[in-house]
Amino acid sequence: MINLSEISENLQRGKTKVVKELVQQAIDEGCKPEDILEQGLLHGMGIIGEKFKNNEVYVPEVLVAARAMNAGAQLLKPLLAASGVAATGKVCIGTVQGDLHDIGKNLVKMMMEGKGLEVVDLGTDVSADTFVQAAIEQNCQVICCSALLTTTMNVMGDVVKAAEAAGVRDKVKIMVGGAPVNEDFCKSIGADCYTTDAASAADAAVALCKA
Amino acid sequence: MSEADQKMICVTLDGEKRLLAIGEKLSALATTELPCGGHGKCGKCKAIVKGEVSPISDKERQALSDSEIAAGVRLLCCTFAEGDCEIVHLDSTSGDLVLMEGKALDQPLDPLFSRYGVALDIGTTTMAARLYAANGTVLADHGMLNPQSVYGADVISRIEAAMGGDAHPLALAVRGAIDEILTVLAQSAGIPAREIDALVVTGNTAMLYLLTETDVEPLSHAPFHVERLFGEVLRADALGLTALQGDASVYLPTCIAAFVGADTVCALLASDICETGKTVLLADIGTNGEMALVHQGTLTVCSTAAGPAFEGVGISMGMRGAIGAIDRVRVENGALVAHVIGEGAPIGICGSGLVDTIACLLETEAIDETGYMEDDEAQIAAPVVLTQQDVRMVQLAKSAICAGLQTLLKTAGVDVSEVESLVLAGGFGSYLDAKNAGRIGLIPAELAQKTAVIGNAALDGASMILLDKSASARADRIAKSAKVKELSADPVFSEFYMMGMMFSD
Repeated sequence: MINLSEISENLQRGKTKVVKELVQQAIDEGCKPEDILEQGLLHGMGIIGEKFKNNEVYVPEVLVAARAMNAGAQLLKPLLAASGVAATGKVCIGTVQGDLHDIGKNLVKMMMEGKGLEVVDLGTDVSADTFVQAAIEQNCQVICCSALLTTTMNVMGDVVKAAEAAGVRDKVKIMVGGAPVNEDFCKSIGADCYTTDAASAADAAVALCKA
Repeated sequence: MSEADQKMICVTLDGEKRLLAIGEKLSALATTELPCGGHGKCGKCKAIVKGEVSPISDKERQALSDSEIAAGVRLLCCTFAEGDCEIVHLDSTSGDLVLMEGKALDQPLDPLFSRYGVALDIGTTTMAARLYAANGTVLADHGMLNPQSVYGADVISRIEAAMGGDAHPLALAVRGAIDEILTVLAQSAGIPAREIDALVVTGNTAMLYLLTETDVEPLSHAPFHVERLFGEVLRADALGLTALQGDASVYLPTCIAAFVGADTVCALLASDICETGKTVLLADIGTNGEMALVHQGTLTVCSTAAGPAFEGVGISMGMRGAIGAIDRVRVENGALVAHVIGEGAPIGICGSGLVDTIACLLETEAIDETGYMEDDEAQIAAPVVLTQQDVRMVQLAKSAICAGLQTLLKTAGVDVSEVESLVLAGGFGSYLDAKNAGRIGLIPAELAQKTAVIGNAALDGASMILLDKSASARADRIAKSAKVKELSADPVFSEFYMMGMMFSD
């Protein structure tokens, strides 16, 4: 019988091919898909997230680990759907209008997926209305906005206003992040949550989805 | 001879009396930095020396012009005190290192001016200028920090300040600095500033927008569509410059795009890489890294926000390349050995020192290939240390530059082995150890042996335009022919950028 911690360990080292093989093997051996996900993939990604927070690993390791996780998750997806396992929550994410810098956003997305969240990626240069419409249509509990430039971060305030105008502000939480953003800014525009790094953002999003 | 036995003599340094032991180099007293490490190569320590000193050396004869030698100019790093003497500096640059020298200009002479002309480069951080006579000789040079820095260290924060109502003060700040530079240049050359009748002012697009008080709003967000790309002549009075006659001309060379400016165009002009028919990369590494690839006659340019780590900003003990900065580091018997600008006690570390340090710490295995440090910090030379967070900042910055270069190559379908030369422009590039830059992945390692340093090429290009009426049209052609590669949100760039943060062998 396969040891699921082996999947976790290989995922942490970014061994996409091995992770895929081990996940398939676990499925073939009759492991429960939820267990493979929880004790294998999410466990490994959780450790990477913690190490990232503590500056022990950096962006490239997160990237390769996330790739390995996605490869494994692809195999599990149909099985999880069939057995009725729901994601921990659903969020949409994008860089705000006028801002094309998506590397930080992509990192947050990977970390969130690593926490078992379903993430709708709206890409770059996303208008306030698009954020809100996506949240309504796809039933997202959280909108995550990213901006790298001090000159574009103010658009995040428009997202909050657009959610109010659409009458969904009480149903959807708004998270903000990016190099120039801080807690004070988050409060000043009436957003719900700011975190300093991608791993904390994923934790916060999970908490917001549960709330 | 022990120190106590050494006979002290009196040196008058710019009017101030100082003591020095006989037989010591005069550079031991000087406040100028020695980018070449005191080897008589960079000419940074040029000064007029009078009194009892060692006779002029062969090195100095090579580095100094006949007229300089006749005027009593010496290199302080090659001149030894033999008795009481006097040092008078040609100009002072507030202790900060501003790169002036570039390659010697060998070019046709048909100047834009009749009496005197000035070429000036407005960098985001530093400004540098040269005063020319009508026969093409350099009469003086001068540099200073860009006073707009109080509105923010980087381009974006200045744009934000301008949009927030400070556009006019920002324009006044840089115009005042230009007036000051012109005044100092004229004084050191002993000419009236009002006889300077033409100026060529280069800089990145944002700097020229701020200078001319053009609305910066289009520079503040994607799609960065800019209407004004210069290639214009203005009058000095229209720019509010007071050091010159009102009808003196100010030429602003053509910019390529919102984030690839006239400075890059001037650097390309000076580097001559567009004309060679070879496959050549050019990188100007600063807070913004601008990069260009010429391949089969096609010019592609890009810019990447590397961040100010290599300017020493955001690094716990980082500083600019000024006195007290560690600028060179090597490993000796498993320990780090640091060189300090000014040869005194270290107080911080500048960009070139940072690159060396990371390379050395990789060699001693204090950092692993992922950038992880076993210890909390690494000592470079007490009290200067490098922290884990510093390493992470360098990883971000170095990868942005390298990924920019790789993306240009990949987009053009060029293999790195086909690149004949990587030309490094700008201050940081001039002091960089190419091998270490390759080791840490700031540049593709394959290109470490193929680098060529061209100094402040933006200022050289501006000088070429000043001295040759036909050069502005060439610069304009370069600007108009350039294809801009947008890097943000480009998946190829993202991939190179993220994976390039490692320190793989």
